[in-house]
Formats: sequence, C-alpha cells, structure tokens
Amino acid sequence: MRIEHLSLQNFRNYARLEISLPEGPILLHGANAQGKTSLLEAIYYLATSRSPYTTSDRQLINWNADQDLLPFAKIGAEVVTTSRALNRIEITLTEANGGLNGARLNKEIRVNGVSRRVMDLIGQINVVMFLPQDMALIEGAPAERRRYMNVTLCQTDAEYCQALATFDKVLTQRNALLRRIADSDGSPDELAFWDDQLTESGAVLVAGRQRLLRELEVKARQIHRDLSGNEEDLELCYQPGFMPTANNTGQLSFDVLGLDLNRQLDAGAIAGQFRERLGETVGEEIARGMTLIGPQRDELRLLFNGHDLGLYGSRGQTRTAVMALKLAELEWMRDVVGEWPILLLDEVIAELDAARRAYLLDRIDGANQVLLTTTEPEIFTAEFLQRATRWEVRQGQIVTVSPASS
Amino acid sequence: MSKAVPQSVTQLIEAFSRLPGVGPKTASRLTYYLLRAPDEMTQTLAAALVDLKTKTRYCSVCFNITEDDPCPICADSGRDATQVVVVEEPLDVLAVERTGAYQGRYHVLHGAISPVEGIGPEDLKIRELVERVQKEGVLEVIVATNPGMEGDATAMYLQRQLAPTGVKTTRLARGLPTGGDLEYVDSITLLRALQGRHEI
Repeated sequence: MRIEHLSLQNFRNYARLEISLPEGPILLHGANAQGKTSLLEAIYYLATSRSPYTTSDRQLINWNADQDLLPFAKIGAEVVTTSRALNRIEITLTEANGGLNGARLNKEIRVNGVSRRVMDLIGQINVVMFLPQDMALIEGAPAERRRYMNVTLCQTDAEYCQALATFDKVLTQRNALLRRIADSDGSPDELAFWDDQLTESGAVLVAGRQRLLRELEVKARQIHRDLSGNEEDLELCYQPGFMPTANNTGQLSFDVLGLDLNRQLDAGAIAGQFRERLGETVGEEIARGMTLIGPQRDELRLLFNGHDLGLYGSRGQTRTAVMALKLAELEWMRDVVGEWPILLLDEVIAELDAARRAYLLDRIDGANQVLLTTTEPEIFTAEFLQRATRWEVRQGQIVTVSPASS
Repeated sequence: MSKAVPQSVTQLIEAFSRLPGVGPKTASRLTYYLLRAPDEMTQTLAAALVDLKTKTRYCSVCFNITEDDPCPICADSGRDATQVVVVEEPLDVLAVERTGAYQGRYHVLHGAISPVEGIGPEDLKIRELVERVQKEGVLEVIVATNPGMEGDATAMYLQRQLAPTGVKTTRLARGLPTGGDLEYVDSITLLRALQGRHEI
C-alpha cells in the first residue's frame, strides 16, 4: 500500500501543498518546526481520522486561516493498494458557526468523492507510526495502552470499531444512570438495558484485545530476542478490567472465574462472565455513581523475564521493548491486511544505536512506502541515502527534492 | 445591536433567533419582512402564536398535542382501539399517519430514556401507557421509538413494564430503505436487515 499523491490545504503550517510520493523510503529533513512531522500527521489523520499528537482537531487548522471568514483545513490523498485500484480519500475540517453553542468543527470525509462516515475510513489506508513518545506505552498511564490497542484494532476491525463507539456511549449513559440512582432519581431496574449493551459491546472489546495481544506477543517475543541477543523473554500480559485481581497485586486470579487467558476466548463467554461480575458489583457502583469494572479499566503490562517493565525496566530495556512491540504491530498489520501498511517514523531513528538502526531499517525493507523525519540526515548510511528520496522541508514547503539515485 | 434599531425591532429579532434553525441573519430578515407586511398578516401571526399555547393541550388518552380532548384520533370510533403505536414525539404520529396504512391508535411518550440528559422513565408517559393497556382492552402495543440507543433503551423498558399485563408487544422492523442501493447501505443496517429477513 502506498500514497501516490498528497494534497494539504491550511493543514498545520502548510498553507498549500501538492506533492507526488514515490515508492520506497522518503526522508524528510530540515530544522525543527518546519513541518516534517505535520506531513506524517496528515497521513496518519487520513488513515485514522485522529491525530497522534492532539485530541483537538481545531489545532490542525492553519492559524493564518483563522482570519478567514470560514476557516477550514483539507487533507487529501490518492492511495494505491496491491489488490484494489486507486482510491481518493479526503477529509475537510470546517469551522462552522454553531449559534449559541459557539463554534463547532465539521469533519467531512469523502472516499472517491462520496461522503462517508468515519467508520467507512477503516481499511482505506493502513499506517503504523513510530514516535519518540511511544515510550509512554510502557512508562505512561494505562489509558495510553488502551488507546494503543484501540487505534491498532480500529484500523483493521470494523466490528471492534463499532463496539468501541457503542461502548463509550453506553458507559456515559450508564454512569449517568448510576448517579441518578444514587440520588434516588432512578431505580436499579432501569439498569438492565444498559447492562446488556455494556457487556455485549464490552465483550467484543475484550475478545479483540486478547486476540491482538496474543498475536502480537508471538511476533514481539521473537523480535525482542533478536534485539537483545537472546537473553530476555518479552511477555504481553493482558489484564481485563472486568476480572477480579488477587489482593490488588495486579496479578490475575484466573481460577476465580475459570477463564483461561492463554486460550482465545469468544465474546459470548466473556459477556456472560462480565455480566455476572457486574451483578456482584452493582451495589458499590451505585454508591460511587460510576461503572467500576469493564474494558474502560483494562490494563496491559509488558514483562521481561517475568519482571514488570513499567516498574523495573531501565530506559534501554524499555526502548527495546517498545521497538519490538511496534515492529510486531507492523508485521501483524501486514498479515491481517495482506499487504504492507504505510510506515511513518518520526525522529525515532536518531534515538537508536547503529546496530538497532540497521536492524530496524532492515526489518522494514519490504514496505512499499516509508516516511521518515530527521534533523540530521548524516546518521543514515550512504547506501540508505542513495535508495531514499530526500525532501527538505522549510516553513511549510518542500523546498528541494532529491530523487533516489538507484 | 446599535441604537439605530428600535427596541421593538430588536426584541423580535432576538425572539426569532432563539428558534431552532434560525440564525441572527434569518431572524433580521423575518423581522424586517414582517415590518413591511400588511397589518393583517402580523395580527394573524400573533393570534396564531397565542392560540398555539392557549388552545392546545395534551390529549388525556394518548398525550398527543390536541385542541379537543380527547384528540380526533382517540375520539374516532372507526379506529381500532385494540392496537396502540407508541412513539417518542407528536411529529412521529404524523409520520405514521402519512403511511395511510395504520388504523389503530397512538401513545406519545414525549421523549426517550437518556440518563445523560436526565430523562428517566418517570419523565415519560410510560405509567400512563401501562394503565391504558390494563384498562382499555389493548391487544397489541407496537413500539415505534427511534432505532437508536435511547429508543432501544425505552423499548426494552416498555417491554419489561408491559410484560405483566400480558399484552402482545411488538417493535417496528428495521432494515433497508425503499429505493436504496444495497452497496451503499452501512453494515449495521444491512446486518439488522439480514437478521430480520422474512419469507416471500
């Protein structure tokens, strides 16, 4: 899979950009704050309809456009896949006057000129992005890891994506109802519908996450062995938030429910168990006015040789594990989708030592398209620089283009 | 607004812009249009606005908006009193009426269950429906709430409340729009249509 043409209008610091993208590696270089990362962000945004850097889409609109009567940003790409013909994908963000509620942001998605919903974007473009802040996957809060699982699965699994949207809505409604019941404004028998929806959609999330992590683990473990010279064993330990943990150690006591996380569970079995546990917790949930168990509390721990990396890992070990996880994700997506996703590497190369840099570049060699950003192109080998197309980015423009010489 | 505009004009512009779908521009246009319109027109409009609130009320049977109680549909002895279609809003009654295929009666809930908006079952005309079913010899309740999460929550709550009365409770089928193109239908709608398929 690769992008053949990219067009940006009022996106971040790009007032206007129309550029064709060749196959193979594209190296974006230039000083800081010139727009290298924004270009990767635009591609990521087209694939997932969200930014890896910000939760507010408004920030994506070029601030010079703010002066305009109707500020807007437009991102479009022509994508070629090995199996299908060319697809044109376009997202337009428009600031609309929302009357009393202040300004609203309209997001319009078009695929081949036809207006589509966010859900229909799934699978149009697949990307895997490497970021320096991926370290937060291990060092950060559990929400980071849930977000990681969601974004990865939403790119490939429409059913998961649908369940996630339903789950979020149900959770908000159920929490509101629990607060109403706590205030004696509602009665517990109103919970039945929301409990059904919560456990049904929640079970799809748990099953999807479990499957993803089992498949990632096999690949990540092998890559991690390669990287660490066969010394350490990497494990992805999934802790579903609806299951009881033994004395708050974070360790799961599987036998409590008779569920075996080493086997793939189906959503039906999970929904039943989840429902049962929900029944036991409902008293406390009403007292606290919120849903206490479920995938919104899922956790993923990375272990090496049985030790928790988030707690005991050194910076180097963490970096190695993150790289193994991301490379595993790349290969997982390639297997699921049936072709290489587009790879986006933001500044990660500079943080690696020569051996790992070589390993990474070798591992992604099969990809149809790789976009890398760097402030120092010197760190790449002459051989790589020869193969790569080099773009110099300056103030929201691509000023020089040096095509690959081979 | 500037002092060049008289108070009475400003007042109407502001009143208009509070209406749904009307922005400040449309509000000004409507106001200046009325300013130039014949007196008769503004008086009719004013009278209509007053009547809207003073002459209408809820029908004591079905809770639709009506001038006469019971409403014309409930008062019509030609309509089947054993069938009741339950809808969220009065406008939904019109939608079902437009099909011309329904000869039973209605029940308007005035909303759907949504804890986030603070709407619980007691805020809707659900208790009244259950009483009606118990008293009036209703044989079938057709739940026609919107096919979204809140509508579904309301439907399920209704079903549980109505179960003890033994009345037959049905829900509108969901599926493909007439004249639609299968390839452009979203997957959830198609899935529902597949689940709800029937023999031909």
